[in-house]
Amino acid sequence: MNLKEKLKILADSAKYDASCSSSGSTRKTRGGLGNVAFSGICHSFASDGRCISLLKILMTNCCIFDCKYCLNRKSNNIKRAVFTPEEVCQITMNFYRRNYIEGLFLSSGIIKSPDYTMELLIKTISLLRKKYHFGGYIHAKAIPGASEKLLKDLGLLVDRLSANVELPTLNGLKLLAPNKSENHVSKIMQYVNINQSKKYVPAGQSTQMIIGATKESDLEIMGKSANLYNDYKLKRVFYSAYISVNKDSLLPVLESPPLKRENRLYQADWLLRFYHFKVNDLLDVKNPNFNILIDPKADWALLHLNEFPKEISKCSYYDLLKIPGIGVKSAKRILSSRRFFKISFDDLKKMGVVLKRAKYFITCNGKYFMNHDYFQKEFIEKNLVLEEKTSLNKVHEQLRFFNE
Amino acid sequence: MNNGCFIYNDTFVHLLNLIYYLIQNHLKPENIKNTLYSPNLLDHVIVLKIEEDSEIIAKIITSMGSFTFRSIYYVFLSSADNKELIIYYLLLNGVKYKEKVLYHRNLKCVEKTINISRYVLHEVHKYKGFLRFKELENHILYAEIEPENDILSMVSHHFQRRLKNEYWIIKDVKRKILSIYDKKKYFFVLEENFSFETTKLSQKEIEIEELWKTFYKTIGILERKNDRCRMNFMPKKYWKYMLEMEEFL
Ligand code: SF4
Repeated sequence: MNLKEKLKILADSAKYDASCSSSGSTRKTRGGLGNVAFSGICHSFASDGRCISLLKILMTNCCIFDCKYCLNRKSNNIKRAVFTPEEVCQITMNFYRRNYIEGLFLSSGIIKSPDYTMELLIKTISLLRKKYHFGGYIHAKAIPGASEKLLKDLGLLVDRLSANVELPTLNGLKLLAPNKSENHVSKIMQYVNINQSKKYVPAGQSTQMIIGATKESDLEIMGKSANLYNDYKLKRVFYSAYISVNKDSLLPVLESPPLKRENRLYQADWLLRFYHFKVNDLLDVKNPNFNILIDPKADWALLHLNEFPKEISKCSYYDLLKIPGIGVKSAKRILSSRRFFKISFDDLKKMGVVLKRAKYFITCNGKYFMNHDYFQKEFIEKNLVLEEKTSLNKVHEQLRFFNE
Repeated sequence: MNNGCFIYNDTFVHLLNLIYYLIQNHLKPENIKNTLYSPNLLDHVIVLKIEEDSEIIAKIITSMGSFTFRSIYYVFLSSADNKELIIYYLLLNGVKYKEKVLYHRNLKCVEKTINISRYVLHEVHKYKGFLRFKELENHILYAEIEPENDILSMVSHHFQRRLKNEYWIIKDVKRKILSIYDKKKYFFVLEENFSFETTKLSQKEIEIEELWKTFYKTIGILERKNDRCRMNFMPKKYWKYMLEMEEFL
């Protein structure tokens, strides 16, 4: 099999991993080729609109496991390939020199045993770092079940080391990934979290959950995320809309991946991390799923309309963050500017506030943007739903690398 | 002498000197242009003899802060109409508001400075990712870019650190300037003063380009196809120099 065919197979089987970012590393390099950019760089965008930053490949798509949702599972009759460490290095170096990529994302199916597979990853990456003096970004996937010693070795070579939770509950995992134990994944995350430093996994860890392969509610998913951020200080949780690659009686039949739901989860994830929201603010047992028609923050605001409208010239930073259409940056801009002049609706626009959404929830120097009689739930809701539908520049939150 | 169009000698430092002179002498320019400017009939063109003194940089940084200074520099690199006047008004207000000047977002010149400098930085960021090198026969890496703003030096600065052990050349196609890196530093040469062969590629170049195109095509998920989203993040104007996009043009 020639290199091109191999690359095709092993990129194809890696593409379902949602993580793309190359940011957050502060590793210093001396000599050699390449460095890391703290804010991350996208080198291209694929036909699905996702950022291409890293050469995302598997070492091999052979696997001794049989996870139901996975293209590479043992029971699938597909073409299999294995890269040699040298081949991975060659492609990475050649792509990096030409500025096609920011670095390497290396994962693998499990051959022989978790330890054997992990050793293969270590061998490849240390060749890249030590023989080729590669200084760019590397994100490696830890193989669940591999020994701590190997976790340690791999973590010293890479910028990011992570393991995928895949399914938000134990039941889901038992059902669809019978060979995997949740324990293994949390052990990895625990180990990385305790040992993380400037030398060990400097860019921290991330994880991914598949959305819509099992029956979990958004409440369960967000609850899991909140715990992960809390317990292991994860940098990111990625959500990956389930794509029916396999036919299996245990799997749902989806006509198309639940992208809208995925988008809502990303928005809510953002609210947890940067807007001081708690899962319970957004969802509860009575309403365990997000509103598909309206984004989580606006949905929250409509349910708490009695706290609005908020006065721009007075309200606190935290209150500003609760206003739909105002982000972290624009909230800070408002704070730093309002000491110097009276902010008008027009000025807000200049500060990056999405006035089309914010105007329903604010007053500027005591003035509402229109007759105050229109300050009613039904009216605002109708307009916000319409606004989202017509907005041309809707992009996936996942791709907002600029704000990371 | 009011109401004139003042001319500076094309450098950033000279522009700053001229503007400070105007502010100190309470002269209100109708316009400020570089030497390439061809005046129209109604223009009253004024060329003052003003020294080019780089002390001015330290002076601005001390009084208005380095963030403000950098923002001004980015405006200078931009291709915005009347960028010199924007810088004039910003410095004029800077005399009054000092390092707080950029907080006054209700002023037009502040709004413009912030937007333009963000736009320039955005373009630099895009090119850090979208620029593509080809390896020539003699192992030199060669890339062409066509930026809207004059960002060749900022892009070079990035690659100096990233590809420090390589020889590379980046050409700004529109401005006809080359940035040449010799493993120590980069310097600029006008295209007309430097001729070299860019068509003879290294032996394995085609094979590697093929690998990259294969990867590009494979990595997109068919079920999630989203042209609008791709176009949003990677506008068509960049495609011309990106080998993976050639076939979509
Ligand atoms: S372990 Fe499971 S998810 Fe991973 S490659 Fe094997 S079958 Fe796929």
